[in-house]
Amino acid sequence: MTKLKVLHADIGGCEGCAVTFLRAIPLIESIACAKTRYIGSDFKIEDCDIAFVTGSICINDVHALEMLKNIRSKAKVVVALGSCAALGGITRFCRGGQEPKPDHRVFQPLSSVIDVDFAIPGCPPPPQAVNALLIAYVKNVEFQLRLFKAVAKVKRLSGFDLLDDVVLPGLCVGCGACVLSCPTGALRLIDRRPELIVEKCIRCGTCYVRCPRASQILVRRFT
Amino acid sequence: MSLLPLSPKKPLGEYIGVYLSRAIDPEIRRQRVGSGGAITAFLCYLIDKNIIDGAVTVRRVRGLEGEVVVATTKKEVLEAAGDKWSIIPFTARLRDTIEEKGLKRIAVVGLPCQIQFLGQMRMFPLLESDFSERISLLISLFCLGTFANEVMLSYLRSKYGIKPSDITDIRLEGENLSIYHECGKISIPAREIVYHLQTGCLVCTDYTGVLSDISAGISENYLGYTVLIARNNRALELLNNARDEKYIELKEAPPSVIEEISLKARGKMERATYYATRLL
Repeated sequence: MTKLKVLHADIGGCEGCAVTFLRAIPLIESIACAKTRYIGSDFKIEDCDIAFVTGSICINDVHALEMLKNIRSKAKVVVALGSCAALGGITRFCRGGQEPKPDHRVFQPLSSVIDVDFAIPGCPPPPQAVNALLIAYVKNVEFQLRLFKAVAKVKRLSGFDLLDDVVLPGLCVGCGACVLSCPTGALRLIDRRPELIVEKCIRCGTCYVRCPRASQILVRRFT
Repeated sequence: MSLLPLSPKKPLGEYIGVYLSRAIDPEIRRQRVGSGGAITAFLCYLIDKNIIDGAVTVRRVRGLEGEVVVATTKKEVLEAAGDKWSIIPFTARLRDTIEEKGLKRIAVVGLPCQIQFLGQMRMFPLLESDFSERISLLISLFCLGTFANEVMLSYLRSKYGIKPSDITDIRLEGENLSIYHECGKISIPAREIVYHLQTGCLVCTDYTGVLSDISAGISENYLGYTVLIARNNRALELLNNARDEKYIELKEAPPSVIEEISLKARGKMERATYYATRLL
């Protein structure tokens, strides 16, 4: 079997997801040949099977916009890796005027600019997520990919959406999955139902994807 | 489209075998009414042979209330044995619990919703703090839904005059739900309590917990036995070993059992489709 040609590009954010991709390279070696700016000087955006893009897109950043469109035209499949790329994540709170790029003020998920095939939330997702996605893609395990296909079609998911879609309509059964999956401890169970500490929610969407009901709603609406 | 590997043609998901099983240890069997205590015995086997460090399960405290138990000895497993009628948000405290005790390989016994979450976490870890590599085995219990506690308790009090604090045990026996309380026992037809399920359970499609390694439940025609669904080779191998080591009896389930649980599973999927169009 020929190895998949995998490309990674980062267009902004904290680089945590880029580190995730770097750490994933040894894991995916047997099925993919990975290229990223971080490990080679000859890096350029070229034809590939799968492109992993990390970081959210600043709508005012012409350079990043062009790079993103270029990636879309050369990659067969584009994966938004991490919450910022998938959903905007914490960069949604950006208001401009901040160093080192004071002119950047509007950050959006990649799906606001290009078609994204799969989106993996997580802040940051672990390297195993990259590996698992590639394996599911190679083996074409459709049910495993469905959720990430659905995430690629939404623009935002957060603790707020979890409350709106699951807790307030009374669909929550109190399993505790959201509390366990929140990276910032923004959710806690009060009377067996999750409550959101709004200041702590970084809009990474992990709780929504992990909730048995919310993920069902997501797949139902978008696939 | 379903999030799970489930369809009306495959209401039990992917599996390699369905078995009838029960504990050999008479002490375990004595405690059990509905099922054969196979999971209890199987967990004892896993702990005795040091295949897992601990088993995460739920113990009923009083009435419908329960608490999380991480059983690391045979004695603790025996204490937690029994059917679980209330959902415990144990996943919320799971990470703390296994980290406090320093467990490296755990078996988790849970309901399909919890198994769905843990199964997804195992397939697709999304956080660095996910502890999927510590989960050695997922065991799901068959589930038709869990009670909305307050509604159920208030129903029992107003219609049957049972105080919540008097309830000692709740078991499904055939078509009836038996409520054991301090002054005896009453039986309620299972049909009557469907209205007291949690709303979220009405849209759930998963009867057996398709992302588990082993699913366990009962068949009404074979009371005294646990129905086990082995979903992968490793699970089957462990079950066979437990049989060889004389912890459990294990025999292939007759087609009628597979039909019976498939029918229930399909029923749950139909119910979910019906409610999902209105609720989601």
